[in-house]
Amino acid sequence: MSDQKKGTAEDTRVDQLGVTAKPPNLDDPRVVLSLLEADQVVAEKRQTRFGRRNLSLSLRMLLWGLRVYVVLMLVIVLIDVLRTLHLNP
Amino acid sequence: MTPEKDPSSTASFRPARPTTETAVSSSVSNELAGLLTHEDRDRARDRWRVMRARWRGAGRNPFPKISLLWLLIGPGVLVFLGENDAPSMLSYSATGARYGIGFFIPFMVLTFVMGFVVQEMTVRLGAVTHRGHAELIFDRFGKFWGLFAMGDLILGNFLTLVTEFIGVRAGLSYFGIRPVVSVGAALVLVMVVIATGRYWTWERITLGLAAFNALFVPAALLAHPNWGSVGHALVTWTPFPKGDEYEILTLMLSTIGATVTPWMLFFQQSAVVDKGMQPRDLAAGRFDTGLGALLAAIFGIAALLATAPLFQHGIDASQFQGLEFAQALKPWLGQIGSTLFALGIFEAGIVAAIAISTSSAYAFGEVFQTGHSLNRPLREGWAFYLVLLGSAFVAASLVLIPNVPLEFIVLTVNVIAVLAMPPALAFLLLLVNDREVMGDHVNGRWANIAGVTVTVLLICAGIGFGIATVFPKVLGG
Repeated sequence: MSDQKKGTAEDTRVDQLGVTAKPPNLDDPRVVLSLLEADQVVAEKRQTRFGRRNLSLSLRMLLWGLRVYVVLMLVIVLIDVLRTLHLNP
Repeated sequence: MTPEKDPSSTASFRPARPTTETAVSSSVSNELAGLLTHEDRDRARDRWRVMRARWRGAGRNPFPKISLLWLLIGPGVLVFLGENDAPSMLSYSATGARYGIGFFIPFMVLTFVMGFVVQEMTVRLGAVTHRGHAELIFDRFGKFWGLFAMGDLILGNFLTLVTEFIGVRAGLSYFGIRPVVSVGAALVLVMVVIATGRYWTWERITLGLAAFNALFVPAALLAHPNWGSVGHALVTWTPFPKGDEYEILTLMLSTIGATVTPWMLFFQQSAVVDKGMQPRDLAAGRFDTGLGALLAAIFGIAALLATAPLFQHGIDASQFQGLEFAQALKPWLGQIGSTLFALGIFEAGIVAAIAISTSSAYAFGEVFQTGHSLNRPLREGWAFYLVLLGSAFVAASLVLIPNVPLEFIVLTVNVIAVLAMPPALAFLLLLVNDREVMGDHVNGRWANIAGVTVTVLLICAGIGFGIATVFPKVLGG
């Protein structure tokens, strides 16, 4: 619920526009921009990227460990599938 | 929290934080008009409806609040009812038929709690960053790790999609419909749903279809379950299943895989973004996710209860495919009950086929930076729709191969989903704890404890399965 309380004053202004106006004229870009957050606009998202994060040694080891885990487990599933097919040809 | 500007970009437009006072000069607005897409306008229309409902709901009258929730629910309910898919319902059915009412009922509740914990994080990620899961992984971890994550997703999604069409085929074969007709009709339905070119319409149609997951409830009631036994099982987690430990372990893994899978993470986050949810919608997003988990748990347990009579009467269901369950249940559920069961399996397959193929298309679009929104008209988002339909078409074609061991494939796919989950959860936890991405919305301590616990549980379950497979004598096999 705390998320709803954040920025109430500013958001109320937007809401009042929404409720008092007729269905918005979405051909007007100002109306569209007033309804969306800045980084919700497709053109803006295309131009901006989150940068790479630093991967510490321990983080890289964790990711590699999980990768090895998945590969090993898939091999085990394959063994299981082959065994089942062998038992029930 | 704010993403960096791409230095290669030539355009310099950056809209201001939305307020009614924001003045955008007319010369700039002409430039913006060219930059805004159909997708932006549709999303703005959705936001306007949400804002209107929120403003009207500020008073004590409860109806506008219900209206607001109605507008904001969707991704959470869809992801959980989508995951109550054909393999999941068949897995629950197999569990009920082989072990009856007991340990697996509270175990299923636990898996849905686990599902809620991880899915809530995707809601926050989507609403705060407005980016899909695949896009964030590529941005923050780079192409190398991103491709691994995508590989897991695409493999898992494709295999699961195959099982959805198995469900469609199995469900409709009960009515004597030929596989080529049932699978073809399912593909047409997928096409019709996405042809609307509007996220809102797609979401409402799919939600409408997903409501039929409730068909398992009357089927369960017709089985006249012993509610005292159900209550006893929920409280005591007993009786614990007896018999082949390896099979029990496989069913446990399959039950987890029926609730917590990688596609759910990618799908819900992308759907939250496509719906246009914002940080102030998080409470509704949590409600949506909790409601989805609750409904899916009820319907999943209903599938188990519906097939429990097979266990009580000593029917050997070990070789049952989807169709056999419905046929074998006739003496206890009657014609109506078994028909509901067969329709439920069909519904489970078709809704999940829509959701999973959409999940693949979202991830593809996010990684290759092509349009990836259901708000895009077909001509603008053709690559997105091509991936969506192409994956569904190939999966559907495979199902038409005769004499495929369907139930075995179904259980195996669920197991693979569990095994691929720990790396996906690791990326999720790293992203949702990344202050540069999430700002003040990073995970709290308890969310991290819950997330890490779920990850460790899944790894332990996977290792247990691995040991039991390689060294079957450990479990007395």
